[in-house]
Amino acid sequence: MSLVLYYFLTITAIYILMSWGLYLPYRVAHLHFLTVANMLISGYLAGYMVQTLEVPFSVALLAGFAAGGIIGYIVSRFIGDAPTFTVVIVGFTFIYISRTAVENIKAVGATMGMFGLPMVAGSPVMHRWTLLILLYALVVVVGFLIYRFEHSRLGRAASVVFVDKDLATSMGVDIKRLGRLVQTFSSLVAGGCGVIYGFIYRSFHLDFFTFHLVGIFMTVIFVGGYATMWGTVLAAPALYGLSLILPPAVASWRIVIYGAILIAVLVLKPEGLITRRLAHKLETTLSRRRKR
Amino acid sequence: MNKKMLSLLAVLLLIASIVGAGGQGDSGSSGGAGVVVEEWEIPFLNSLTGAIASIGEYLQWGAERAAFEINEAGGIAGKPVKVIGVDTALEPQKGVVEMSKIVEWALVALGPVPEPVIMAAAPIAVENEMMTMTATTSLEYAEKFFPWSISWFPATADRLPPLARDWAKDYGVKKVVQFVGIYGPWPGMAAAHVVGIKEAGAQHLGDVEVPQDAVTFGPLVVKALGMNPDGIIIACWPDKAAKIVQELKSRGWTDMEKILLFSSADDAALYTTGGADLNGTIIYNYINVDQDTPRWNAFKEAYQKDHNGLQPPSLSTNYYDAVYMIKRAIEETGVTGDPKKLKEERKLIAEAMFNMKNFEGLLFKWDMSDGVPTNKPGYLFQIQDGRKKLVKEIRN
Repeated sequence: MSLVLYYFLTITAIYILMSWGLYLPYRVAHLHFLTVANMLISGYLAGYMVQTLEVPFSVALLAGFAAGGIIGYIVSRFIGDAPTFTVVIVGFTFIYISRTAVENIKAVGATMGMFGLPMVAGSPVMHRWTLLILLYALVVVVGFLIYRFEHSRLGRAASVVFVDKDLATSMGVDIKRLGRLVQTFSSLVAGGCGVIYGFIYRSFHLDFFTFHLVGIFMTVIFVGGYATMWGTVLAAPALYGLSLILPPAVASWRIVIYGAILIAVLVLKPEGLITRRLAHKLETTLSRRRKR
Repeated sequence: MNKKMLSLLAVLLLIASIVGAGGQGDSGSSGGAGVVVEEWEIPFLNSLTGAIASIGEYLQWGAERAAFEINEAGGIAGKPVKVIGVDTALEPQKGVVEMSKIVEWALVALGPVPEPVIMAAAPIAVENEMMTMTATTSLEYAEKFFPWSISWFPATADRLPPLARDWAKDYGVKKVVQFVGIYGPWPGMAAAHVVGIKEAGAQHLGDVEVPQDAVTFGPLVVKALGMNPDGIIIACWPDKAAKIVQELKSRGWTDMEKILLFSSADDAALYTTGGADLNGTIIYNYINVDQDTPRWNAFKEAYQKDHNGLQPPSLSTNYYDAVYMIKRAIEETGVTGDPKKLKEERKLIAEAMFNMKNFEGLLFKWDMSDGVPTNKPGYLFQIQDGRKKLVKEIRN
């Protein structure tokens, strides 16, 4: 497999997973930017474990997932049912805090970053295949879990919370518990993504985890469609691919192009390119074909 | 028989003349024998858009200026050279894909720029055994990718202490507080300043951290002045450095020469933000814009023509020199550009650069020793009305 394709596929998978990590809490009207801080914390933790403590990658990856999940759960105890704005502020604050913490920890390279992370398998080719398979297995598993969530009572409850919290409460939905569940799950996924993200580059630098990432994931969700999980699957490769294929003369207008796409989608199709109705229609058509 | 002998002689003469002409061609093409490319293409993994686009522009300008001059003078081994700007937009995600494309065909690459993209993309060049010239970062980053990278600067711990030491000695500074931006190699540079201050017999009272998102500087300056320093070193972003100087002045600081600005602050944003408030302050850097050599004057004139009369910034010469270094490496090693020999020719170029001696840079001559430049000077300047006036040249 060519290197270009490898990087395109792996980073696209990270975008899909991380955008789902924002999408899921957004189902209960939470913009949970804590996930970017989870990426950073778990990534650096795993990097330190593998490089300095010589722990196997698989163990470090699990630790990354766990760290993400634990931090997500602890924070969700306080903001599980908080208003959208509060969740946003907490997320941004955590990004600041975690960046400042890493800047001051020499053991993880501080402002210089971590270099030369070892390969996760014996050769560069095996390293790449391992990460690629791992990532797409994760996409399938996380996608399946989100799909099941969407088609469960919890998913329907989330839809009510998104529209009106009071209504949801009156219908017996435990808003805080639901918020805790989706926030913790998102943080857990983000933790694992942070680990793999660094091992794709085989290095960690604080500027891998900037607010720019928040912008990318938000654009993916709102262009693809914030009401279904499928919009992300469409928008992540399209938007990332677009930035790579733009001719040099147009590339400097990249941000303008993204902005124009986002505005156009928000004006013309406020729910995003893949709406819930469209997703439902496709699912119905597919299931009919299967029955035939 | 005579006829046969004559015919044989004629044939032999013909063969001899053809062989002779061929030989002359070989020796007379100044290393161009066997070159198979019509044009040397050098990709430059640069940040042409995004937060540091203004820096990326003049880095690119420097590289293209070198290519222009080289082509005017006959090219590299007789073939023209072209620098291809490849924009990473400061994004590692884009940097890795672009580097992946480059390693499929290029003999050598310029960049990446800056550190986050270097860290993500340079390992791809290393894995594919291709020299990638990270000419804007410190040795501490570049050395991680040796021998497939070279450093443009000596070790921070070697080059900065003499500059801070001489500043402290020459201006009678005894007690120093330092403003430090927390970014990449800057804390390491700040630590090297402290070594120099101590060598001068001065005291380091402490550091004041400058956050990347700082917009007001009053509290930071009050904190620094609270330590009662008689000298200040500022090692942070150019615009913020200018605002700190302004804040110091507004709080009664008058000994402007006892303020030392570090090299990374030497950018247009420093002068446009600081204006006349910077007058008298000292700044260190690695190029002397007041040199008077035909080559430098031509560069400066061309730069000013293309940039509304602005002085060439300190980093503008780095990739200019890098392109010339590539030219010398190709010509000295007899690289042909044949795609079938890509791997071995990459190695030849890398080896030639790694220990290149007597390299004629735009402003001075230097040697590379195992990827690290030696005998490069540093300079102390005094700022006056937006211009730098040379105070001292310092060599390790």
